[in-house]
This record gives sequence, C-alpha cells and structure tokens, in this order.
Amino acid sequence: MFSFTKKQEVFDISEIKIGGQPGEQPTVLFGGAFFKGTPDFKKTEKDIQNMFDLSKKTWNPCIPDFFIKKEEDVEKIVDFIEKTLPKNQPFSVDIIEPTIKIKVLEQLDKKNLLKRTIYNSIHIGITKEEKEALKKHTPEMTIIVAFNPKDKSPDGKIEVLENGAHLTDKGLLAIAKELGIEKILVDTAALAPGDYSGAAIAAIPVIKEEYGLPTGCAIHNVVEKSTWLSKHFEAAKKTVDVSSNVNIVLFGGDFAIFGPIENADLVFPVIAWQDILVSEYTENYFGVRPAESHPRRKFF
Amino acid sequence: MENEYYPWGGDFTVCKTNGCIAVVLLQIDYTPPSDVAIYGPLKTENIGIEKIVANLISNPYIRYLVVCGDDIRGHRSGSSLIALHKYGIDEKNRIINAPGAIPYIENLKTEAIQRFRAQIEILDMIGTKDKKTLDAAIKKQTTKTPGCFGQPYIAIRIKPETTKIDDKRALHAKIILNYIGKVKKREG
Repeated sequence: MFSFTKKQEVFDISEIKIGGQPGEQPTVLFGGAFFKGTPDFKKTEKDIQNMFDLSKKTWNPCIPDFFIKKEEDVEKIVDFIEKTLPKNQPFSVDIIEPTIKIKVLEQLDKKNLLKRTIYNSIHIGITKEEKEALKKHTPEMTIIVAFNPKDKSPDGKIEVLENGAHLTDKGLLAIAKELGIEKILVDTAALAPGDYSGAAIAAIPVIKEEYGLPTGCAIHNVVEKSTWLSKHFEAAKKTVDVSSNVNIVLFGGDFAIFGPIENADLVFPVIAWQDILVSEYTENYFGVRPAESHPRRKFF
Repeated sequence: MENEYYPWGGDFTVCKTNGCIAVVLLQIDYTPPSDVAIYGPLKTENIGIEKIVANLISNPYIRYLVVCGDDIRGHRSGSSLIALHKYGIDEKNRIINAPGAIPYIENLKTEAIQRFRAQIEILDMIGTKDKKTLDAAIKKQTTKTPGCFGQPYIAIRIKPETTKIDDKRALHAKIILNYIGKVKKREG
C-alpha cells in the first residue's frame, strides 16, 4: 500500500467520483451486461437492480457496462438504458465495431444521455469516422485502453497514451482531449495469460504517477481466457476471477471492470473489504482521508 | 501449450506432426479429424494472428489452413487473418484491408509474414459450422500431397528494449517507492 507523489485527479459523472489517492475514493465497479443472443432485458434489469442493492450495502459505486455487438440491438439497448436506469445513473457502453460505436453515440445523443455516458473505449484502432462522431456526440467521460500490440509492458502502455506508438498520429490522451473529452479513465489492457498479463496490474501505479489519471483494468479478461483454469479448476475459476480484482485495489487502482454482472454478489464485498484495508493504512500512515461515501465509513 | 514444432505456444491441440492441414476455429465447438496437424481457436486480430502465423511457419509440413466458424463481431479475427494472407501489412504494420478493430502485426518480421503467405494456402470457410461439411472439406484436402515446404522457419519474437533495474526500491523503471512508502518518479 502506498501513496502517490503526483496530484491525483478525481473525476465525477452524475455524482459518482472516480480517482484519487489510494484509500480516498471507493473503488468503482463496472458490471458487464453482455446480451448473448437476443437481449433478455428482464434478466438484465434484475441483475442491474441487484448490483444497485449491493452498491447501497457496500457504498462502492457501480456502473452498468452495456456490451453492444449487433447493429439491430443498438436502439433497443439505448431505449432500455433510458427507460430502466435511474435518471442520475451513469453507465458505460462497451462496443468493438467502429460503425456500431457511431450509431450508439448518435442514439445516446438523441436520447440526451451523453452526460451520463462513459465511452468504452478509445484505443489505437480509433477510426476517422469514429473521431468525427465523438466530436459531434461527445460523451461526458471516456475510457482509454492502453493496448500496445508491440510492447505490452507498462512502458508500451505509456507509449500509446503519450505518442500513439506510431500506430496513431498522436497519443491517445491528446486524441481524447482534442475530441473535447477531459474526463479520462485509463484501462491498462489486461491480456490473455501468457501475454504479459501481469503488466496490466504493474502499469496501474506507473500510469497514476505519470499522469495522475484514474486508472484500472478488466483483469477478469485474463481469467476468462485461461483454458488451464477451465480444464483443471473449473470449480475454482469464479473464485480466481473475483479475487483477481483485489490486485487492482492493492496497486492503487480506481476502478475494476469485473466481467459479468452476475458476479456482482461476490465482487462487491471482496472489493469493499480491500478498500477498507487500504484506507485504514493510508489514512493512518499518509493522512489520506476517506471520502464521506467510502466503505470504511459505512462499516466502522 | 508449447512444443518443438510450435514454439510460440497458445491454445491449440496437436494431432499429426506431418499433417498438412491446420484448422482455425472461430466460435465453434468442432473437433477436426485426427489427421490434421493442429487446430485451435482464434480470438484476437493481433496477438492471436501472430501466434498462428509463427506456429504455422515453424512446421513446414503444414500447407493448408482451414478457417471456419463464425467470425467474432468487432474483432473480425478470422477475416483479418485471411486479409493478412491476401494483402500483407502496410508501413504501420496494419493488416491491409483487415476489418478487425486493431489488426496490427507488431511482433513478427516481414520475412515471417512473407513465409506464411508463401507456405500456406487458405480455405476460407468462415460461416460454415456444419460438422459434415467441414469434415468433408478437410478430408478432401488431406488426400492432397503438397509436400514439405522446406526448413522450419522459427520466428523470433520482436522484443522491445527494456530498462535494467538494479534499484531494490523500484516498482518499475519509471517509479520507485521512497523510504516512507510514497510512489515517486525515478530520477535519471
């Protein structure tokens, strides 16, 4: 457990705060709504409500992370977000296909939801059309994924943030700012086991000390891709998955994109517990006062 | 896994060492006939493709690559692999005409890509998931005797330079933990 010398930014979106020194703000938890096949909105609504209830219990803020893969689902999912989520609840949209990203931004703008939107994500694959759409329909906050296919180390991750590592014409941070997005979360790009997966955790303090930006990752991705775990330890896989998020908190991270929203029951108490441990130390040793909404204030 | 024929490792199953066919599975639960050389899934349009290329060229007996199943939305890794074979990469190491989100080949030399394009013939069966159809296509290919391509090509992973650290307080080349446990930038 440690504290950073660099001033740490705290960004807010619809009253949820992300960032700061370790022990200052509660870890923000992103739960993924994946929509396999035809979207089952009833189930998703139930899962999201469960996550809200857990968030009320632990005080860890939660963000539903909506995966949108098919063009035909764009309107339906944005409608669901508009009608189902509480009016001040931020959310993120997680999309890979650039053309669908553009359609989602248009829809979110049409429904006046951009102020609550965390765009997931800007990365080195950003297209010219996507940039134009982001300029026109600018979300309140974005996640930048610091994936560098050439150098997966923390240095490589900094390189894409700083100068685009020759893959983009400038650094991803500069691109986001040019598009008018000031609230930036850095995702350290957790890769498959065997692909320098631990670098996603090691990069958290490096990036926070370099830029002071809220930083985290989807360490769940590493576990999900492990066939070794699936083959030999199927029963323990969920435990490994959930507990791997602890690394983010211990390395000073601010948010965890923890995978399927169905894991929320296990993730919330585990992360709240880590937040408490970190805060107990950093307040006593570094004088970092936990925010009023910190889990430590809830329990003790 | 890793073995002498497939030094880059990955998530794959090895069958017949001197088989001439490799099979890439895209979101499909399918076990190819046992006389193929190797089969396994492909997920990402960058690192995943690099591993396939490196592992194929290290076994010169492999001459055909069957790509089957449903391409992954967004990543479009199967189509990006086919694009690499057809068009190669541009000066920014991007696979030319690849439809994937981040189709960059950063860890292989151009020579390795050229070897892949010369050694391998691709059977584009993206969209096909039917076991019988796939079995028949693979069987037909198995009857061919294309012969060994030559010497194995062992692709060297291009590695970025790393900073050596002898400072025990260093968390990383860029940061240290100082004597009170505060993270700060490393000098020099």
